[in-house]
Amino acid sequence: MTGVDFLNLLIAALLLGGIYAVMSVGMTVIYGVMKIVNLAHAGFMMLGAYFAYELYQRLHVPPIAAALMAFPFFFLVGVVVYWLMVRWLPKSSQPTLASLLLMFGLWLVLQNLGYILWGNTDRSILSPMTFSVIHWGPITISTLRLVVFIAAAVCVAILELILERTWYGRSVRALIQNPYAGKIVGVDEAKTSRITFGLGIGFAGLAGALLATLYSFNPDFGRPFLLRAFVIIVLGGLESVSGVALGAIVLALVETFSILLVPAAYQTAISFTLLVVVLLVLPGGIASLVAKKRRIA
Amino acid sequence: MSAITTSRVKSALPWMVLAALAIAPSAGLTANIVRLLFVTLVWVTTSLAWNLLGGFAGQVSFGFAVFYGIGAYTAAKMIDAGIHPLPSFLAAGAMAAGSSLLVGVPTFRLRGPYFAIATIGVSEAVRVIADNLSITGGASGFRIVEHRPFRQLEHYYTALGLAALAVMVSVVIEHSKFGLGLVAIRHDEEAAADVGINPFAYKLWAHAVAAALTGMAGGVYARYAAFIHPHGVFSFQTSVYILLMPVIGGIGTVMGAVLGGVIFGIVEEQLVANFPNVHLLLYGGLLILIILVEPDGLVGLAGRLWRRITRHHGATDVAGPRPDEILRGTGGA
Repeated sequence: MTGVDFLNLLIAALLLGGIYAVMSVGMTVIYGVMKIVNLAHAGFMMLGAYFAYELYQRLHVPPIAAALMAFPFFFLVGVVVYWLMVRWLPKSSQPTLASLLLMFGLWLVLQNLGYILWGNTDRSILSPMTFSVIHWGPITISTLRLVVFIAAAVCVAILELILERTWYGRSVRALIQNPYAGKIVGVDEAKTSRITFGLGIGFAGLAGALLATLYSFNPDFGRPFLLRAFVIIVLGGLESVSGVALGAIVLALVETFSILLVPAAYQTAISFTLLVVVLLVLPGGIASLVAKKRRIA
Repeated sequence: MSAITTSRVKSALPWMVLAALAIAPSAGLTANIVRLLFVTLVWVTTSLAWNLLGGFAGQVSFGFAVFYGIGAYTAAKMIDAGIHPLPSFLAAGAMAAGSSLLVGVPTFRLRGPYFAIATIGVSEAVRVIADNLSITGGASGFRIVEHRPFRQLEHYYTALGLAALAVMVSVVIEHSKFGLGLVAIRHDEEAAADVGINPFAYKLWAHAVAAALTGMAGGVYARYAAFIHPHGVFSFQTSVYILLMPVIGGIGTVMGAVLGGVIFGIVEEQLVANFPNVHLLLYGGLLILIILVEPDGLVGLAGRLWRRITRHHGATDVAGPRPDEILRGTGGA
């Protein structure tokens, strides 16, 4: 492998890492605040993909704009789902059997709703940008991937800012660190949970819509990404946004460079192997390597 | 009905059901009904197996299809090579139990959602690998040639024996120190560890026993079906089915697991035949409904009705099944 090939792969991996990060932060904030593993994340990603597809096909909205529109839409969906189902779950400091099964049931419903509405044929969003590339010396970058990366990075950065700077963000961090102490000092747990669930689902929709501009999709779209999101949030230490960014880049690097050694058909096995290795070696995620661990920040 | 008669009926009931199922085929049932009973018994076995880990120990697995598939392929390969079915089924169970360590060892040491997450990963990874291996026949499947005459009743009694074994194992575990330890882990893992229970070993054993039963069920099914392929036995759907049954019946109870398996076995084919596109949607909806409305499943519902009836007659002694606080409480997963 020449140096230029290496550089091209490295850039591709970093661009992929940005998308992986936006895909995983939604799960992380929900897990952090509510200790719910959102298995339905995959279902909302799939809906996000079709949301962008329908907007592009019917109203000719540019795909990236459609993806950004997916966020507020799915935020509202998330708030409704929270109000209808999630708030009835028993509260716990550990993920419960009930929450896992509920989110799993929701995923089944969403996925099969997708099959009913759109059938099982693969769809894709082809815009003029799809095939354009930027040449920069010997380096070639897909324009679309770059744009998607920028959109993803900006969204994650905004989330980070919200968590850092706003009262809501402070409530989120309080609930993650110590729910009881948080409530004592006046954090409205129900309200924070509601907004967080909305944010989580909003990010799922956004990630799905962004991914839809790059890959073809069907109603089973989210599943392979769900496992990747798990690996990433475990790598990141489960509850931290910056950990997620790090985990996303690690997974993207491992996946991209493993193509040189392992057949592409075994990609899913790669994420799983990485998960097992991390659980055995670093159960606290990469963040646990850093002595003074800062959660969500 | 006094409490004593109730408990006597309860302890005699399994034997009566077993006897009825043993003589049922000679009562002139059609081959199709026997087949339906066979399939139902296989499902009941897997449902009981899932309940050992998910119900007793509170560890949700979304990947039981892995054990079902490994069992199916092990038995299929051995029977195809001319080995007697019985040792093949035992080998199927052993293989499945062995592979359960692959997920159990890295994840059971940790508290939190790691196990549940890993099971989704492993089922994805295993199906992808099975699809690409030549030993499984790849995506085109594997046809089992058994050099013995096909006798449906033999299959039926194998499945009946296995289901009876699963019930026995479940009841024995439920009343043993081991079973109590599992329930303690479900309620509070740290507290359980404080009183001398080793959560890691307990969970690992429960997982292995559940995997062995599921593997054997897969083997028994494979021999009957005579054709298996990765998208059938290893499919995500199989995992969904295995998890759904004990939840429908009443998670954490032997009665519930059996009940869920029976209902699922009878309804499943009709549902798939009549609503090929929406049956998983219905299952998902059912799952949501059960969790939100009646977390103790049908057993919980029956208990609630029973208490209402007895209260109506002015009785104070409640002898009906007691709802367990598994999905209502804060038991870990």
